[in-house]
Amino acid sequence: MATTIAKPELLVGKRLRRREDPRLITGTATYVDDIKMPGMLYAVIVRSPHAAASIKSMDVSKAAQHPGVAAVFTGKDTEKVGPVPCGSSLPGLRVPHHYILAPERVYFVGHPVAVVVATDRYVAKDAADLIEIDWDVRGAVADPEKAIADGAPPVHPQWPDNKAFTHHQEGGDVDKAFAEADVIVKQRITSQRLIPTAMETRGVVAEWRAADRQLNLYSSTQIPHLMRSLVAQMLGLEENRLRVVTPEVGGGFGSKLNVYAEEALMGFVAMKLGKPVKWIESRRENFLCTIHGRGHVDYYEVAAKKDGTITGIKLLIIQDLGAYHQLLTPAIPTLSVLMMPGLYKTANIRADIIGAFTNCVPTDAYRGAGRPEATHGIERMVDILAAELKMDPVEIRLKNFIQKEDFPFPTATGLTYDTGDYSLPLKKALGMVGYEKLRAEQAEKRKKGELMGIGISTYGEICAFGPSPATPAGGWESATVKIDPSGKVTVMTGCSPHGQGEETTFAQIAADELGIDIDDILVLHGDTAIVQYGIGTFGSRATAVGGTALYFALQDLKAKIKKFGAFLLESDDATLAGGVVTCNKTGASKTLQEIAGATYRAMKLPANTEPGLIATHFWEPTNFTFPFGAHIVVSDIDRETGGITIRRYIAVDDCGNILNPLIVDGQVHGGVAQGLGQALWEEAVYDESGQLVTGEMTDYVLPRAHMMPWIESDHTTTPTPVNPLGVKGVGEAGTIGCSPAMVNSVVDALSPLGVRHIDMPMTPEKIWRLVQGASSQEPVARMGERL
Amino acid sequence: MKISGSHTLQFPPEKAYTLMQDPDVLARAIPGCESLEKTGEDEYRMKMKMALASFSGAFEGKVRITDQTPPQSFRLLVEGTGKIGFMRGNGLLKLAASGAGTEVSYEGDALVGGTMAAVGQRLIDGTARMLIKRFFEKLGEEKAASG
Amino acid sequence: MIPQTFEYTAPKTLEEALQIIAGGGKPLSGGMSLIPMMKLRLAAPDHLVDLGRLKDLHYIREEGGALHIGATTTHQDVASSALVRGKCPLLAQTAGGVGDPQVRNRGTIGGSVAHADPSADYPAAMQALEAKFVLKGAKSERTVAAADFFLDTFLTALEPGEIVREVIVPVEDGSTGTHYEKVVQKASGFAVVGIAVRISRKAGKIVWARVGVTGLANHAYRATAVEKGLAGTSGGATEVQNAAAVVADGIEANSDLHASAEYRKHLAVVHTIRALLAALARTA
Ligand SMILES: Cc1cc2nc3c(=O)[nH]c(=O)nc-3n(C[C@H](O)[C@H](O)[C@H](O)COP(=O)(O)OP(=O)(O)OC[C@H]3O[C@@H](n4cnc5c(N)ncnc54)[C@H](O)[C@@H]3O)c2cc1C
Repeated sequence: MATTIAKPELLVGKRLRRREDPRLITGTATYVDDIKMPGMLYAVIVRSPHAAASIKSMDVSKAAQHPGVAAVFTGKDTEKVGPVPCGSSLPGLRVPHHYILAPERVYFVGHPVAVVVATDRYVAKDAADLIEIDWDVRGAVADPEKAIADGAPPVHPQWPDNKAFTHHQEGGDVDKAFAEADVIVKQRITSQRLIPTAMETRGVVAEWRAADRQLNLYSSTQIPHLMRSLVAQMLGLEENRLRVVTPEVGGGFGSKLNVYAEEALMGFVAMKLGKPVKWIESRRENFLCTIHGRGHVDYYEVAAKKDGTITGIKLLIIQDLGAYHQLLTPAIPTLSVLMMPGLYKTANIRADIIGAFTNCVPTDAYRGAGRPEATHGIERMVDILAAELKMDPVEIRLKNFIQKEDFPFPTATGLTYDTGDYSLPLKKALGMVGYEKLRAEQAEKRKKGELMGIGISTYGEICAFGPSPATPAGGWESATVKIDPSGKVTVMTGCSPHGQGEETTFAQIAADELGIDIDDILVLHGDTAIVQYGIGTFGSRATAVGGTALYFALQDLKAKIKKFGAFLLESDDATLAGGVVTCNKTGASKTLQEIAGATYRAMKLPANTEPGLIATHFWEPTNFTFPFGAHIVVSDIDRETGGITIRRYIAVDDCGNILNPLIVDGQVHGGVAQGLGQALWEEAVYDESGQLVTGEMTDYVLPRAHMMPWIESDHTTTPTPVNPLGVKGVGEAGTIGCSPAMVNSVVDALSPLGVRHIDMPMTPEKIWRLVQGASSQEPVARMGERL
Repeated sequence: MKISGSHTLQFPPEKAYTLMQDPDVLARAIPGCESLEKTGEDEYRMKMKMALASFSGAFEGKVRITDQTPPQSFRLLVEGTGKIGFMRGNGLLKLAASGAGTEVSYEGDALVGGTMAAVGQRLIDGTARMLIKRFFEKLGEEKAASG
Repeated sequence: MIPQTFEYTAPKTLEEALQIIAGGGKPLSGGMSLIPMMKLRLAAPDHLVDLGRLKDLHYIREEGGALHIGATTTHQDVASSALVRGKCPLLAQTAGGVGDPQVRNRGTIGGSVAHADPSADYPAAMQALEAKFVLKGAKSERTVAAADFFLDTFLTALEPGEIVREVIVPVEDGSTGTHYEKVVQKASGFAVVGIAVRISRKAGKIVWARVGVTGLANHAYRATAVEKGLAGTSGGATEVQNAAAVVADGIEANSDLHASAEYRKHLAVVHTIRALLAALARTA
């Protein structure tokens, strides 16, 4: 039997390989689709091919009679199931009733209208094709600006203006700032719809154990506990009768931070039929029916002094919400507003949001969720201002940064930035890239008509969601640490990691705190029957909030270990170190294993002490954390074709203390890939009638390994005081820092041609047209009326 | 999607116009048309089977002819639905004498939905043009048959 | 993502395969085009006849001054064949640029040619190489030149019941330089435009040039006007530019999300110039 040995070497801060990787790369991990149960049925969902239509009639008889079909359910059958939940509450928010199957009207292509359940997928699909629906097709609107214009077809007939909400926020004295400004720059900036495209699509297995009154729901989700609470409500089931299990999750990026119709629908089907049922989303369904990200049209105005001091920012966001609110849909643009000042001191802001319904799949959280839009906007505007004032983009940033000594810094949007030293990563990145030399090279190239660009973004973000009052479902996180009689340790975390590597980092934390070998630690998550309760993994929160809960649970446990050890040693002066309690007077010691055994055997107990070694901690943060960093992109443009080549990509991120540099680099790399995806390639395109024309991988340009530049990444370290680990969060940093750096680089390259702004994605044809001399000026005329 | 173009037929506008209003002729000329059945004044129900390399699909739909100004112009409305998606087209056809023949120009909108729209992006345009071309080629062959 | 029910046969001999195909069976080769369409139910053949297991369709050999390539030879086998690389480098280069490694390991030359996707890579090379295709039916065999084979979007000279049995391409002599220049549609891997070029230059003069273009029109074509413009010149930069300028003349160019017709035509010109210069650099 392995013994727990004293182990002085600390693991936190080490480049440890991820413990979860072997099962992932050998294909032995268990995903939802790997679950097989005796008698299991398969479901195929019938969806609307129209963006806006009414069902005149639906004939399911042929499907129902098809051999092998167990049942067909339509919206009429499921009308009593509770609506797909919206978790955000804004004043005056209009919330359409979101049936799990549309009983009468459909609002987007892909809207589910029926489910066919059969002995296998092939039979179910054949039968689904036999359902005959007579549609009354209505006018649709797929563009948020058109949706809120006069005369647009109403998405929901009860709200003809297509406005789900408006939101206004103001800080300081904006009117004064603009009245006294030396210069005002304006720009319309879009952040296009993106398809999150997790490698594993969604999937649900539902198993109803009638005799136990127990529904087991296996789902590929980021939030098993919230799903349990919400799906139980939808199904009218007591929460303790529902168990949600999250097996391996093949990526989420926010798209699985949600409760979808299919989870309740499979629960409904399993309960009706008394048999387990599986539904696995196809890629096409994933594109059509899983939430999209972004979907912003932003109108910016920035007021400044001649010396480059930014004095005020106005912003109007038109958010494309899609046809419904999914869990957090309306909340996402409010995060953009919170982060609109970026890293700059500006005290005067005014923001308005118009949430527009469109006949499209809902938007919601996608890697960065609201912050990439904000960072993209402010970082573009700062460059536009610099160009207007003929200042260097570095100089203007340094001039406006909140200074090191200003922290904690209250922002004009009501946040309190924890810590920062914003010039640190910028200066490091400039050094790495060789800024002065590159500018000299650029000047030479420009004389020859060659197009080379240097783009900088200095980003900040909100992480570690978050204090509960500011987070829809609560912002705390929980951890339980259990030490078995044999001394082996099990950590149960409420956040449900799905690719972030917490099985490794949390084990590192526990190994160091307890002074034991990492192989003695098991990290469990994603099963509501095992884990106490939890919020989930999103918003770069798992380590900063969940890791901190774990840290405090470990402190409780250490106190008990020490107390018990001292009791066994009959010592009143003992120390716990390296997994051993030692009496400081006699030098006698007890290993963790011995102590653990004794706590369970419980022959003798210290006064007021329970047997066993188990501790649970729920930790509520007092604030968010605010990581920051600087990304620099050097690009070369092919004048003839509009092609963009990335020559250098520098990413210097400051996410506070780093628990595992390998994992942090991985998060930055993945984040940059998705940032470049938005900047250069990706766009969910709906045509005017609401058809998603980028409906498959053949047309939606997802970044691939061979399209990526070499990323030169480095870090600065500014710990946060918000949590004892000093960690801030890094899951979304790469994405947030990336897109403005990329766009700034290309705009910089094209600036000799008078180009001031380019909307994403920067396709070669778009660049070619700009080089050809088409105007890049986006329509700004309407701004005056709007703001 | 906007569709426009023109084709030349080797017979005069009057003849071309008549042919294009004749359901039997249309049934022969429309690529993949299996049946064209009159359901009302200038209104037909159509069954189509399209086979294009590996693609194949059956469609059922309606054809309507409106705004007739013989022999100069008419409007054609086509609607089809099948398992692989649906399409709706609306086009104005103009006929003008050109030498001994007729220049037919057309301009309209087509809307494609369902799987076809989602995965056939790069092909829809070319396919539509090919089908139109085949239609006019077939129509051109009518002269020989009907004198 | 679930195809309709279908029958599947893996015949032992070509004769058996052709029998079933004559009766309405659908040839399956690498499946890289057919199977995705079946999964989306855009194609629903009743009976698949798997040619992939017929050993006598998988070969590359030199015969009578030409390379003969069996229909089920994969893109990867063409790209990595020493024979093809040495004697018909344009074809090897083209095959090496198709899709990604998985696609190249499954997809076949016969399947690609028969499918006649207007954006596929091989057809450009086939036009430039003046390739010939041996088409075989249960009771017939004929040879058709590339110029007469590609008729329209997904439309070829194949008659019902016929398959592409073999592709025949010439062996280049020492005077020839070749190059394939492709603008990749990043999502699918297909060509936005692809230009395949062969040039024979002797004693500083271009004897002949062949230019095949894919992605631009309803099917791959030979840009004969460009070829004529080059013949007899020394292949200087200006001559190349002037000749290439007409590559898209009179073409009704494709247009989609990824490139408008206007941009595609422009790309065709730019990449014809680049392909010609690269090929010229490889001539003796
Ligand atoms: C992700 C992806 C990326 C791709 N990228 C590219 C690219 O960049 N460039 C490119 O050119 N192609 C690309 N392709 C297509 C690929 O090259 C296909 O392999 C090829 O087009 C078809 O060959 P196949 O052997 O797979 O044919 P199959 O899919 O088996 O068949 C295609 C069609 O041809 C018919 N057929 C097959 N063999 C014969 C024969 N011998 N005689 C008659 N008919 C036959 C079949 O019945 C079917 O209709 C890509 C495919 C995928 C999936």
